[in-house]
Amino acid sequence: MSIYTLGIDIGSTASKCIMLADGKEIVAKSLIAVGAGTSGPQRAIAQVLEEAGKTREEMAYILATGYGRNSLDEFADSQMSELTCHGKGAAFLFPEVRTVIDIGGQDVKVMRVENGVMTNFQMNDKCAAGTGRFLDVMARVLEVKVEDLGALGAQSTKNVAISSTCTVFAESEVISQLSQDTDKRDIINGIHQSVANRVAGLAHRIGVQEQVVMTGGVAQNTGVVHALEEALGREIHTSPLTQYNGALGAALFAYQKYLKAQK
Amino acid sequence: MSIEVLLKEFAEVSEHPGRQIKAFKAEGKKVIGVLPYYAPEELVYAAGMVPMGIWGSNKKTIAMAKEYCATFYCTIAQLALEMLLDGTLDDLDGLITPTICDTLRPMSQNFRVAMEGKLPCIFLAHPQQRKPAFGLQFTMDQYQHVKSELEKISGNTITDEALRTAIKVYNRNRAARREFVKLAGQHPDAVSAVARSAVLRASYFMIKDDHTAKLEALNAELKALPPCDWKGKKIVTSGIICDNPKLLQIFDDNKIAIAADDVAHESRMIRVDAAETGDPMMALAQQFADQDYDVLLYDENSSQNRRADFVVKMVKDSGAQGLVLFMQQFCDPEEMEYPYFKKALDGAGIPHIKLGVDQQMRDFGQASTAIQAFADVL
Repeated sequence: MSIYTLGIDIGSTASKCIMLADGKEIVAKSLIAVGAGTSGPQRAIAQVLEEAGKTREEMAYILATGYGRNSLDEFADSQMSELTCHGKGAAFLFPEVRTVIDIGGQDVKVMRVENGVMTNFQMNDKCAAGTGRFLDVMARVLEVKVEDLGALGAQSTKNVAISSTCTVFAESEVISQLSQDTDKRDIINGIHQSVANRVAGLAHRIGVQEQVVMTGGVAQNTGVVHALEEALGREIHTSPLTQYNGALGAALFAYQKYLKAQK
Repeated sequence: MSIEVLLKEFAEVSEHPGRQIKAFKAEGKKVIGVLPYYAPEELVYAAGMVPMGIWGSNKKTIAMAKEYCATFYCTIAQLALEMLLDGTLDDLDGLITPTICDTLRPMSQNFRVAMEGKLPCIFLAHPQQRKPAFGLQFTMDQYQHVKSELEKISGNTITDEALRTAIKVYNRNRAARREFVKLAGQHPDAVSAVARSAVLRASYFMIKDDHTAKLEALNAELKALPPCDWKGKKIVTSGIICDNPKLLQIFDDNKIAIAADDVAHESRMIRVDAAETGDPMMALAQQFADQDYDVLLYDENSSQNRRADFVVKMVKDSGAQGLVLFMQQFCDPEEMEYPYFKKALDGAGIPHIKLGVDQQMRDFGQASTAIQAFADVL
């Protein structure tokens, strides 16, 4: 009989769940686009259990991670930092990974992974620059959907520099460019480069080593990924499971903890 | 008294400095506010008054001080002014304003202008060159000025005998605090990071004889404990100040003990004693000259990265596995030192994290994530 474990990643802007069988097979996953402090976590949990046709009682171990990891004390068996979980998840998807760049809703994190274990990390300061929130703000002022930013930026034909890293000042710069009738696609490309430069600076603090993997919701934005590849001069690997990576790591740790408890 | 009772008493004082001032005033004592760093508190004590350390606040928000301050002044300085303006420190009888960093220097004038006609502000400029004879003389002259101003406020003459007594009282308190820092590092099961901070912070709000008596009792209890078999991690803390209980609670929650510290508010202030014999004014000047390994102090051999080496040795000697640097927002000296600090730590293979902090922080979610992840990599 299979052992089922559940990883729950409660981020600042989304709640994600991954259910694993025997610590290796993804049985079900769920994502609700609201995070800590909302109904998102409960809805994500209900959805993943329903998709798998399982109950809470059938989960051998549940581990929470992410910004809201402490809010599930009564539901989860334990919690861990999302950095550790992202390192674990990335190493599961890309066994050769050495550098993980995770851009989430309000954090940018760069992790060094050695033999599947996180050994060093850097986080952004208390600032929204370079985060998913930064892109949300820019998409709003540009009147485009955040998920369309990648495709639109790819059509850019001209370099437009967005020099401010501060979200508020960068927003002013974008408004100024719009008032000068600058093509939105060029502005978007400039925004992607601004994010990439900011994140690359953080990554260089711990040193970038092959293989580089990008996780988190922003990894779905091909514009940021390509700009970051250029800024780092290295290929960046992503996965369709990028947004679930933290939850995946949590489910993997949950399985480890279950096994340890059995000894 | 038990360890728990003593720690609770220190925590009460640490959390309620305003109550302490009211109690001192009710006893007819005069109270002098002492801003960071290295003000010779012994002079206040010798004048028969009570010094109260003012290192900002974790409970206030900057509002009125904005009228006087540039936005890039640290919150420690701005919140000190805020408390002077909003009435929190109305009971003070005077204020000593040292000027050892680029924020405190102009802030000394902000304090003076804001408190004009309300509170005597005693200007104190430590010399950059503190070790040569002319530097010592400069410090002496400055301390002489502080002394005469304190005499005016207190109405008492500060005699050499009174000052020597004060030096003895302060040396004994510093020794007790040093001993406590060591014992707290050895017994993290008995002294949490939150409790450790409260004990050290309370020293700024108590008459030193009282703090020493209580602390020596606590140290005796800690010494009597069996060796602690700590299963968690141990770190050294560094920075200007980290006295926010909510922030320190994260360390306790993750079983991270503070083995030693390089924090200005804590151990940097108690490293050096003053001579108990000879000219007491010279003893205080020499004490300042003997201060070392502080980013705020001029170091003619700074190219040797002596300070970073000193901290690296501290980490190794304390048995800590890593270091947490509390980077005070807008603290230029600490920011500028960081690359050299990092180089030395990396070179010695000591993992560290840098946490950006200020005293208006109320949400520690990001710090919690970083600290928990740091515990995982140690």
